[in-house]
Amino acid sequence: MNKFVDFLENNLSTPMAKLSEQKHLRAIRDGVVSALPFIIFGSIFLLIAFPPVSAESAIGIWSANHIAEILIPYRLTMFIMTLYITFGIGFSLSQSYKLDPLSGALLSTAAFLFTIGVQVMDNVGFVLPMANLGGHGLFVGMLVSIFSVEVLRFCKAKKITIKMPSSVPTSVARSFEALIPVVLVLTIMTFITIVFGIDLHSLIDKAVAPLVKAGDTYIGVMIPVFLITFFWSFGIHGVSVVGAVARPVWEVYLANNSAAVAAGNAMPHIAPETFFQWFIWIGGSGATLGLVIAMLISAKSQYSKAMAKTTIIPSLFNINEPVIFGMPIVLNPILIIPFIITPLIGTTIAYIATSIGLVNPTYIMVPWTLPAPIGAYLSTGGDWRAVVLVFINITVSVLMYLPFFKMYDKKLVTQEVEENTTIHSESVMSR
Amino acid sequence: MKVLFVCSGGMSSAIVVNALKKEGEKKGVELDVLAVGTQEFDSEVRNGWDIAMVAPQVKHRFDSFKESADTAGVPCQIIPPRAYSPLGGPTLLKLVMEQVK
Repeated sequence: MNKFVDFLENNLSTPMAKLSEQKHLRAIRDGVVSALPFIIFGSIFLLIAFPPVSAESAIGIWSANHIAEILIPYRLTMFIMTLYITFGIGFSLSQSYKLDPLSGALLSTAAFLFTIGVQVMDNVGFVLPMANLGGHGLFVGMLVSIFSVEVLRFCKAKKITIKMPSSVPTSVARSFEALIPVVLVLTIMTFITIVFGIDLHSLIDKAVAPLVKAGDTYIGVMIPVFLITFFWSFGIHGVSVVGAVARPVWEVYLANNSAAVAAGNAMPHIAPETFFQWFIWIGGSGATLGLVIAMLISAKSQYSKAMAKTTIIPSLFNINEPVIFGMPIVLNPILIIPFIITPLIGTTIAYIATSIGLVNPTYIMVPWTLPAPIGAYLSTGGDWRAVVLVFINITVSVLMYLPFFKMYDKKLVTQEVEENTTIHSESVMSR
Repeated sequence: MKVLFVCSGGMSSAIVVNALKKEGEKKGVELDVLAVGTQEFDSEVRNGWDIAMVAPQVKHRFDSFKESADTAGVPCQIIPPRAYSPLGGPTLLKLVMEQVK
C-alpha cells in the first residue's frame, strides 16, 4: 500500500502539480483570480436587477423599471472581465520573467483592444463593441497577453531595446525600454486585425468550441471533481492545480450565464465554478462538512472530539485544510475513500437536478467563504430549491463519511488507550 | 520573533496562526505572526521576517517560495501536514524555535 502511494505521489500527483506551476498556466490563473473582486462586484448588481422577490412587489417593480441603469456597474466589470484579466495575465507573466510588470500588463491590454473592432455610430462617435471584452473573448485575451509578454521578453533577452544613460530616472528608462516591443506587438496586431481584417474572436471560438462543450457535460464535470480530491489526497491544493487549466472555461460559463440572464434569455451552461463551489465543495474540497458533522455525532476518541469542536466553525465557511491535514485525510487510506467518492455522488445529484431544471443554474459569483446554503441561494439568483439541494448533499455526505469515520475513530481510541493518555493531541500528533 | 505563513489564499493558515500564537502565549514566547496568500508572499517576505513557514498544500510551489525567501535571507520551511491543524500549536512552536536558533 505504501509503495503504491509513493508511486502515485512521485510519478503522478507531484509532476502534475509542478506542471500547473508552469509560468503561462500560473499567469493565466493569477490573472483570472485578480479579476475576481470585480466579477463579484458586478454579480451583486445582477442580483439587484433580478431580486429574489415576487415581480409584483415594490422592489420587483422598481428593479424591472430601472433594469438598464442597475446593470451598468455589471456591464463595466463582470461583463467585460477579459479586459481586466488580460491586464492581470500580462502583469503576472512579466513579473515571473522579472520584466517590468506594468509594461507587460499595459502592452497585453493594448494588444487585446486591437482584437476588438472600432465602429462608428451616428450621434455617438467611435464605439468599442463590448461583447468580446467579456467572457466571450477570454481565450483571445489569454493568447494575446502571452504573445505580448513573450515579445517583451524576447526583445529584452536579445537586447533589442533603447538604452538610456544611467542618469535618466528608472521609470523613464523603463518606458523607453518598452518602446520597441510595443511598436512590434501593436504593428503585428494592426496587420492581423486591420490590414488583413482577421477576426481572432470567431477564429478562436471555433477552435475552443469542443472544449467549452465538453467541460459542461457530466463527464466533463466529474473529471475535475475527481482530480481535485485526488490531489488533496496527497496534500496538494487540488483546486489551485486543476483550476490552472479549468478556471478559464469555468469563467466563460459564468460570463455566458450571467450575460444570458441580463439579456433575459435561458442560461446555456450547468457548470460554472460556482456550481462546484456551492453544490459540491460544501465545507471545502471533498465536501468535508459531512465528515465534521459525522465527527460531532459519533466521535469517541479524545482527538476526534477536539478536532470536531475546533474545525466545525471554519468548515461552515468552507475552510477545511485543518480537517484535511489534521485528521488527517491526506495519505489516510480509510478516509480517502469517502473523501473521493462523496463529491462524485454530490456532483451526480447536482448535475441531474440542474440539467432537468429542478434547480436554477448558477450565474452570480459571491465570496467562497459564505456558508453553502447562503452561497447557493445567492448564486442561483435566489432559488430556494438550491438550498434544498445543498441540504440533500450535506445529508448524503454525512451518511457517506459516517461509517468510514467510525472505523478510523475506533483505531484512534485503541491508540489512545494503549498510550494511556487522558487528553489530547500532543501524543497522537507526535507519532 | 516574527513568523510569516503562506498558504493558498491566506485563509486556512490564519487558523493555524492562532494555534501557534496561543501556544506561544502559554510558553511565554513573544510571537508576531502573519498569514499571506501565495501571490503576496514574494513582496511580504522582504519585510524583515525571522522565518517563513509554507503550508503543506502548496508544497509543490516550495521552490519558488524558497527562492524569494533566500533572496530576502529568511529561512524557509514546509509545515509538516499533521501540524497544520488547530491542534498543531505545540509541534509548530517547537519547529519554529529549532529553525530560528
